Amino acid sequence: MLSEYWPVIIFLAISVGLGTALLVIGGLLGPSKPSVEKSSPYECGFEPFADARMKFDVRFYLVAILFIVFDLEIAFFIPWAVVMEDVGLTAFAAVVIFTLELAIGLAYLWKKGALEWE
Amino acid sequence: MLIQEIIFYAFSIIMIVAATLVISVRNPVYSVLYLILTFFSAAALWILLGAEFLAIILVLVYVGAVMVLFLFVLMMLNVDLSRVNEGFVKNLPLGLLVAAIMLAEILVVLWYKGRTGIEDFPIPEPLSADYSNTAEIGQRLFTQYLWPFELAGIVLLVAIVAAIALTMRKREGVKTQSIPKQVQADKRDRVKLIDMPVEGVEDK
Amino acid sequence: MDMILEFAWLLIRIVLFTFLPLILLVAYYTYAERRVLGAMQSRIGPNRVGPIGLFQPFADVIKLLLKEIILPANANRFLFFIAPVLAIGPAFAVWAVVPMGEGMVWANLDAGVIYILAVGSIGVYGIILAGWASNSKYALLGAMRAAAQMVSYEIALGFSLVGVLVLAGSLNLSAIVHAQAGGMADWYWLPLLPLFIIFIISGLAETNRAPFDVAEGESEIVAGFHVEYSGATFAVFFLAEYANMILIAALTAIFFFGGWLSPFEGWTFLGDSWLREPSIFWMLGKLAFFMFNFLWFRATFPRYRYDQIMRLGWKVFIPICMVWVLVAAVMVFTGLVVRGA
Repeated sequence: MLSEYWPVIIFLAISVGLGTALLVIGGLLGPSKPSVEKSSPYECGFEPFADARMKFDVRFYLVAILFIVFDLEIAFFIPWAVVMEDVGLTAFAAVVIFTLELAIGLAYLWKKGALEWE
Repeated sequence: MLIQEIIFYAFSIIMIVAATLVISVRNPVYSVLYLILTFFSAAALWILLGAEFLAIILVLVYVGAVMVLFLFVLMMLNVDLSRVNEGFVKNLPLGLLVAAIMLAEILVVLWYKGRTGIEDFPIPEPLSADYSNTAEIGQRLFTQYLWPFELAGIVLLVAIVAAIALTMRKREGVKTQSIPKQVQADKRDRVKLIDMPVEGVEDK
Repeated sequence: MDMILEFAWLLIRIVLFTFLPLILLVAYYTYAERRVLGAMQSRIGPNRVGPIGLFQPFADVIKLLLKEIILPANANRFLFFIAPVLAIGPAFAVWAVVPMGEGMVWANLDAGVIYILAVGSIGVYGIILAGWASNSKYALLGAMRAAAQMVSYEIALGFSLVGVLVLAGSLNLSAIVHAQAGGMADWYWLPLLPLFIIFIISGLAETNRAPFDVAEGESEIVAGFHVEYSGATFAVFFLAEYANMILIAALTAIFFFGGWLSPFEGWTFLGDSWLREPSIFWMLGKLAFFMFNFLWFRATFPRYRYDQIMRLGWKVFIPICMVWVLVAAVMVFTGLVVRGA
């Protein structure tokens, strides 16, 4: 089983190497004549004011939390999907209840308007 | 197996160095990146142990989801980098206390299980070629540990409710689109036809 | 010593048979995109460099590499340059487990599906860090939009794969293809039709492609997270995006359209024709079809609004997925679909 992971390590290494190599080649081939105008961040015609790293709507934070919750649910579903037939109907009933619990959560989100974006 | 040992030590060293950097670098965004590296090395070690499902789920859940949340929060709070380390000395004793308690807990569990010496951790048997970590976990989880599985569902539900309670605030004057209302809109509710005399035309 | 030689040989083969073709495919995909969009909009598209513009991609690459890399003021230098690498790394690393034909896969992992999900989910860091490191409002806005959209649709994507797993009973991609043997009606697009549609649409949203490209909506936030990236740094993001599109097309073919299996497998009246045999050409044909779809969608649909995108993901796709995974399980238990065969 471990030998199956050799190509994975090589793939990871080549992918990262490819990205780095392209950046290095670009850095070597391209000119480098920085100027104030060039390096100022893009704005629609006016001088950039204040730091661009501003605070964000709390909604993005909520999406990230919900993502974790549902990602975990998928993580629980996957082993069940693999052994579904061996563990039979009892486990299926358990999974249905598990899904219902999450469905209640989703319904609550919906009701509270947490899924509304404006 | 020399090659396995090399891999083990390489990833262990990366993991320890990265974990140390997590708490020692000044920029919190770098901390998150080092934490990701730590998780990766841990996943590699788990794969060495033959726990491939757990290893990949570790990457999927922690690197793919939890760390994204961390980055979001860091960006949302817009941390002032110069002030991050201010309370370091003041909070050090508290931090050490928490660390000591956690270490003690781990040791108590090991002692309780009667695993105190290196000989209590034998080298695991080599796994057979058709061993599937995912299937093994599935078998255990959905027979022996069915109740904990349901409890996990409840915990996730509580997490959803808690997330809303903590973050949702009703804001005034927010306009949202309601598709059912838009679809059900009828011309009778919107358009009113009225009779008006036309200017310059005489009624006969 | 033998081991090192073997290792080097494997590395060379991987570069020759996966990375080079993939990069060429990306290059000509950009060319195809411009030609196809041109044709769909009654234009010609690039036709100057070489015969019918065939050398255009090379001209583009050379131009991008020769351009200056501009580091914006107040940008974080390290994060600014690590972001494109973090975007392209996962986009190419996922290909390790993608089979193109019978046995034509580098790492035949037992946990292939979760490997794809896990490595694929790392791509979001490239985007978030690019937006944050650039110190530009447009880049940051684009990055946050893209990140929230990607994580939302990742759930729909993951759930639709759970449906496939329920029917196939294995996390191994080759096993999933084998489980669909029998002909067009045995491929999973039919029993999992809602999940198939969700997978395709989520794939579009996951790669930030039209009509879900609000992250780089030109009319609102110029170019989104990569607005401050120029020259080679931009080329790397571009390469990652297109490699991801090709990946989604390949995965759609494998999970829902029988991979390298022949669509005419069950047509006995064809005799022993090669048309009934599984081969890599079927895989490539399906890949080309789904890749073309990406371009077709871009030419056809107007851009979605951001709140509509989030609603579609959370309020439509996730509930449908949850229900259909259970429906798929019922199909297996009632014997409607034979699992793994």
